[in-house]
Amino acid sequence: MQLYLQFGFGMMEHSVHLLTAWGGGTVILSPRDLEPFQVQSFAARVLKVKNSQILFDPQFYLPHADHARLTKHSYWPKQYDTGIFWSGPGLEELLTKLLDLNRTIGCQRFILPGLLAESINDDWLNQQRAVIDTGAKMTSGFPRLITLALGADTVRNQDQIHELLDTATDWNAEGFYVVCEHANGKYLVDDPSWITNVLDLLAGLRLLGKEVILGYCTHQFLIANLSKASAIASGTWMNLRSFPPEKFSAAYNEDIKQKAVWYYCPQALSEYKIPSLDLAYSQGLLPAMAPPPSLGSNYAMGLFGGTQPTTVGLDEPSAFRHYLQCLHSQVGLLAYPSFDEAVAGEERRLDTARQLLTQLQRAGVLGQLRDFSQVLDSNLAAIRAHSNTRGHQMRRRWTSL
Amino acid sequence: MGVEAGETHDRDAHRSPALNIDDAWLSQQFPELGSLKRLVTGGQKSVYTATHPSDGEVVLKIIHPSEDPERVRREILAVQKAACPRVPRILGEGKLQSNVGEVLWVREQRISGESLRVVIQKGPLGKDELLRLAVHLLEALADAEKVHIVHRDVKPENVIRDLGGRFWLLDFGIARHLDLTSLTGSHAPFGVGTAGYAPPEQFRNRKRDIDARADLFALGVTLYESATCKNPFRDGIRDNLQALHNVERVALPPLQLPFDSAGEIAGFVTAFTQKRHNHRPLSIAEALDWVRDIAMRQGVVI
Repeated sequence: MQLYLQFGFGMMEHSVHLLTAWGGGTVILSPRDLEPFQVQSFAARVLKVKNSQILFDPQFYLPHADHARLTKHSYWPKQYDTGIFWSGPGLEELLTKLLDLNRTIGCQRFILPGLLAESINDDWLNQQRAVIDTGAKMTSGFPRLITLALGADTVRNQDQIHELLDTATDWNAEGFYVVCEHANGKYLVDDPSWITNVLDLLAGLRLLGKEVILGYCTHQFLIANLSKASAIASGTWMNLRSFPPEKFSAAYNEDIKQKAVWYYCPQALSEYKIPSLDLAYSQGLLPAMAPPPSLGSNYAMGLFGGTQPTTVGLDEPSAFRHYLQCLHSQVGLLAYPSFDEAVAGEERRLDTARQLLTQLQRAGVLGQLRDFSQVLDSNLAAIRAHSNTRGHQMRRRWTSL
Repeated sequence: MGVEAGETHDRDAHRSPALNIDDAWLSQQFPELGSLKRLVTGGQKSVYTATHPSDGEVVLKIIHPSEDPERVRREILAVQKAACPRVPRILGEGKLQSNVGEVLWVREQRISGESLRVVIQKGPLGKDELLRLAVHLLEALADAEKVHIVHRDVKPENVIRDLGGRFWLLDFGIARHLDLTSLTGSHAPFGVGTAGYAPPEQFRNRKRDIDARADLFALGVTLYESATCKNPFRDGIRDNLQALHNVERVALPPLQLPFDSAGEIAGFVTAFTQKRHNHRPLSIAEALDWVRDIAMRQGVVI
C-alpha cells in the first residue's frame, strides 16, 4: 500500500517538499482548492520531482452545489440540469474536457467523475454506468479510475455495499477511487460496521484485480492494508482526512483561522494540542510520545528537547509535515508477507496504542476528538469481522494482489 | 445396499400421485434394454436399471406427465452442455404414449456405488476422501460454470461414490441456466433448492445474485456434513423454514478436524459457506485451484 497526498488548501509547498523528501509519490489534485490557472503550473511543479505523478479528482460529487471555485474550471458544466445532462451531450462534453485536462497536465490515470451516492439505487447505478461506458469509448489506452463517492448511510448498509460490489464486477476500468463520508461526521470513526464495510468494499474491489485508492483518510485507515488497498490518500487539514461532501457545496465555511495545531503521536495513533503535551512533560511521559526514529520525522522534534512544549511550540506547517511523514513511514512498514501477519501487525499496533493511551489518560493527557482510544475497539472489531468474512480470500490471494 | 445414478430425492412427491407404470408394458417399449428392473418410483419419475447393447449398464428414467417438460428439457441440456466426466452421461431421450398421457424418458449412464448420504450415515469421511470429494464435485461444478449453469441442489443425496472411490454429481433437475429465462417466478418468496443446503440468495429467490457461488455454499455444507456427519443448519429443526432461518442467521461452527491441524480444510469450507456470495471465492474455478493446491501439498491422490 502507498500513501498519496490528498491535495487541499495550502498544500502546494508541503506536497513538493514531502515528495522531494520521499523520492517521489503521487498527489491527487483538488480543483476545489486550485484556481484554474494554478492546476497546470502546480502539476508541472509536482512532475518535476523525480518519480512523481499526479491524479486529478474532478470532484463532480454534487454537480448542483455550485461551489464557487469548482464552477470556475472549464470542464464544469455551465448549467447542470439532471435530465438534460444525462440524456444529452453534457456527459460527453464533461468527459472530453476532463480528458483534455488530464492529458495536458500529465496525469497517467484518468479519474472519472462520479456523483455522491446517498444510496445505491438504479438512478445512481445508471449514471455510473453512463460515465464508465462513455469514458471507456473516449479514452482508449488511458487507464481509468472509477469514482465511488459514498454517503455515510450507504457505507453503513452492508446490503448496499454488496449491491455495489455485484454491479461493479463488470465495470470497465482499471481501478477505483473510493471516497467515503465518515459515519456521524466524525474525524475518527467509531462505528465498527462502517469501518468493516469500507474494508469489505476495498477487498471486494481488489479481489477483482483492480487498483483501489481510498481517498480522504486519517491514519485510522492504515488498516486498509488488510484489504490490500493500493493506496490511501491523506492531507493536511481535517477536511482532507475525511470526506465531508458539504465542502463541495457553495455554502461550506472553510473557517481555517480557528484551527489549532495538533501533534500526531504515531505510536498512540492520536493527536494532541500542544498544551496537552505540557501535561505529559510535567509528569515525565513526554519522551514516550516522541516519534520513533524509524518513522523519519524530525519536524516536531523540538517538542522533545527537554523544555516545556508550549514554550517551544510547533508551527502548523511542521505539524502537517510531521503527520504526513509519519503516516508515509507507517504505510511503508505495512509490507507483510501474509494476511495473517498483516492482521497480527495491526493488532500489535492497536495494543501498543492502547497501552500508551491508558498511561496518558491516567495522566490527563487527552487527545479530545482525535484521541484514538474512542475508536480502538471499533478498529479491532472491524479487523476481526473482516478476517472472518474476507480472511480466507485475502489469505489465498495476498501475494498475488 | 447400493443405489444407482439417477436416483432422485423426492422433492415434489406431494404434488402428484406416484407414476404407476406396468413393467411388462415398459419392456415392450424398450426392446433393446435387457434386465429392466424398477429401482425407485417417486412423484416425478420412475427409475429403472437396465443393460443396453452398446451403452452397457444404464438407468432409465420415466418422467411423470405432470412434470414441466421445459424443466426436463433443461436438465438434459444442462448435463449435455456441461459434458462433465464427473456427471453421468445422458445416452438417450424421447417420448412415450402411456395410459396417463405422454411421458418423457431419459436414458443415462449408470454409476454403481453408494449415495454420499448412505456413506456418511456410516461415519465421517477421512482427509483423503474429503479432499477427493471436494475436488471431484468442484470439477463437476467448474464444467457447469463454464457453460453458465448453476446446479442449485448439491447435497449428499445427489452425490454418489462409485466402486472406485470417485464421486459423481447427480440430478441437474433444478439447474439454472444463467443464459435462459428463469423458470421460477420472479415474485415467488422462495426459490427452489433444499433447505439447509441452498444459500440465502437462492432460497430468497434473489435471482440477480445467483451464480456458481450458490453451488459453492451448498458444496461447503455438504463437505461440512461429510466431515462431521452433521449439518448444523438442519440439526434438530422443526421444519424447513427453521433450516432456512438457520442458514441466514447461524454461522457454521469452524470445522475442527484431527487431520487438519493447519486449518486448511476448515478454511475453504468456511470460505464456501459464507452467507454473502461476495465473501465466497469468486468462481468455482478459483475454488478448485485452491482445493487442488491443498490436496497436492498433502499428497492426496485425486
